[in-house]
Amino acid sequence: MNPRWPLAAVLLLAAAPAAARADDEKELRWGTDPTGGAPFIYKPPGSGEDDPYIGFEVELAEYLAGKLGRKSVPVDGLWKSLPDLLDKPRGGEKGIDIVLNGYEARDTLKAKYAASAPYYTFRVELIARKDEDGKDWADFRRPGRRVGVLGESTAADYAKRFFGEPAVDESDDVANVIGLVRDRRLAGTVQDGPAAVHFCKENPDLRTVGAGRQPGHYVIYLRKGDDELRAGLDAAIRDGFRDGTLQRIYRKYGLWNADQENLAYQHTGEWPEPLDADEVAAAGGGGGLGKLLPQLLRAAGTTVLLAVASFPLAVLLGLAIGVGRVYGPGWVRVPLGVYVEVVRGTPLLLQLYVIFYMLPKIDPVFALDPLYAGILGLALNYAAYEAENYRAGLLAVPRGQMEAALALGMNPLTAIRKVVVPQAVRIVIPPVTNDFIALFKDTSVCSVILITELTRKYNELYNFNRDLVVELAFVTAGLYLLMSYPLSLLARYLERRTGTHATGGHR
Amino acid sequence: MIRVTNLVKYHGPHRVLDGPSIEFCKGQVAALVGPSGGGKSTLLRCINGLEPFQEGEITVGDLKLAGGRAPAKADLLKLRRTVGMVFQQFNLFPHMTALRNVMAGPVYALGRPAAEAEATARRLLDRVGLGAKVDARPGQLSGGQQQRVAIARALAVNPAAILFDEPTSALDPKMAAEVMRVVDDLADDEQFQAAMVIVSHDLAAVRRIADTVHILAAGRVTYSGPADEAFAAGGPVETME
Repeated sequence: MNPRWPLAAVLLLAAAPAAARADDEKELRWGTDPTGGAPFIYKPPGSGEDDPYIGFEVELAEYLAGKLGRKSVPVDGLWKSLPDLLDKPRGGEKGIDIVLNGYEARDTLKAKYAASAPYYTFRVELIARKDEDGKDWADFRRPGRRVGVLGESTAADYAKRFFGEPAVDESDDVANVIGLVRDRRLAGTVQDGPAAVHFCKENPDLRTVGAGRQPGHYVIYLRKGDDELRAGLDAAIRDGFRDGTLQRIYRKYGLWNADQENLAYQHTGEWPEPLDADEVAAAGGGGGLGKLLPQLLRAAGTTVLLAVASFPLAVLLGLAIGVGRVYGPGWVRVPLGVYVEVVRGTPLLLQLYVIFYMLPKIDPVFALDPLYAGILGLALNYAAYEAENYRAGLLAVPRGQMEAALALGMNPLTAIRKVVVPQAVRIVIPPVTNDFIALFKDTSVCSVILITELTRKYNELYNFNRDLVVELAFVTAGLYLLMSYPLSLLARYLERRTGTHATGGHR
Repeated sequence: MIRVTNLVKYHGPHRVLDGPSIEFCKGQVAALVGPSGGGKSTLLRCINGLEPFQEGEITVGDLKLAGGRAPAKADLLKLRRTVGMVFQQFNLFPHMTALRNVMAGPVYALGRPAAEAEATARRLLDRVGLGAKVDARPGQLSGGQQQRVAIARALAVNPAAILFDEPTSALDPKMAAEVMRVVDDLADDEQFQAAMVIVSHDLAAVRRIADTVHILAAGRVTYSGPADEAFAAGGPVETME
């Protein structure tokens, strides 16, 4: 088969869904990272896949969408790269209108994107165990006391300035940091106010220390030039403060405080009336592992799809590159060699980033849906490794084989195709199968471009189901094993079969 | 039919062929003998276009290869389809059956229909005594059987000349005898009009089948003449180093 066709097919398929959604203007698509967790956006423990997200930003988004006459549609992404989604066209699968996920007003972001009026005032809070000594922040600034933070957050910046960088441990997972504090492995953790309120409520052995510091504002980011949307959001936030809607939402999650009263005053010029009754957050529950398993299975399906779609492309492309490097003229060998070295020498994660986030900035025609970008990225990356496998295989075929084919009068291309390549393919079956198994596990990197495959789903579920961490880990590992073990068996079968071909059954 | 004129071939600084001139005629068996390293195999590889050479000329029918110039691709293909080659190490394609090996030339080089190529291949395998082994892969055959398949493979493209590069030196005497019986048979076949050139150290076998003998030593022809004369007592073969 012509190796170019599968690639072209992938690109064509990628373009279709984007086009289909382009004219859908009735949605307010907001970028968020559900793995960031409560109280921003989360699912109560034991929720099923179809159970909706809850959280104060979920309710805020629904309120805002309602005011704009649209339907609220959360689009999940990685927190750190949510603004990048604004650089992509609105119509794709991960196309968004706004970023609404605890993003503070920051000059660097405002230079690139438009920002709404602030919807929440937060402070950074220090959380510690109740039985940990220390009444104020300064008490924790002592030798041997370490604090944890969420990497690349405002809280992390502040903690480094206050405690000194060597005393601060960074993590990508808030829940892990909280666990370390509870296990006495960290003296405390610095978090945004809303997270602090949530975790102290969930864990009665934790408390906030002293007063919160460094007030800042959460804002909504959107594309520059979306003036109408921005005006609509600002008006809705102002109205929400005026009519008590935002107070009602924030109170439900324990987030209403003097800072928000002040924010309401700044928006409306009036001090808000305190509401009488708090609405209680609706917490789902129960269900256990059985309810989570279908979600993991579905994500495992995505993992299989990524691997099964990308690997044949990688093999075809790798074979073409390998043949080009061994038999091609200099002007072909050199660029192919550069391709292999560059792709092998840079992380897959970075390559996926380039394909998904950077290429669309050059031209929107490169804006692929995440799944297709993932398949393409994995294929291009693994092609470099497969090219080296095939190069080794081609060089391992005795020179006499090529000579015998040429001596029969075959032209060199036919000799390569009919005589050398079939032998090389048999030689490299073990390393190629090995790479296929490795690729299965590398699909997890695709979570950076917002594909919910098995590892990302596991991360999401264990954030919301901390009591099932061990069970979820075993099930996830088991699913990976279930996917890769048949491949090992297939490899052994193929080795046996082709080994017989090569040696005439003496083995 | 094949004319080699003043051929000069270097391997690095080493002058492997130092200007030999030889003619090989249609319907005759020519033997190339001489000490190891004398340039016999290199000469065959030059004739088949597998090795470039720096000076001199090789003419095969109306094709001409000149030293120091890369031959045109079309000429090279035509040359190789005219001159068959049997290698010391057989070089059968291990992923193909004996039948497929013999069909490879007609199908992949000459573009013949598979059915026609298969009929020819079966006939040739029968001729070399391997009619029952058509479905065997090279790994399932003895060395002698493999070399016989290789001969059938070279014959399948119906060459005007066939070059044997030490066809029995990788075989034990019994298997070598099997292979030489096939070569003998070809040499005796009046219908088979291809020029045959054989490089061999098996002087007894060469004596039996060769019409002419050329002694190549240190890249030069030190003797060319009829086999009877070459093998006479005290003649050039007996006295060669």
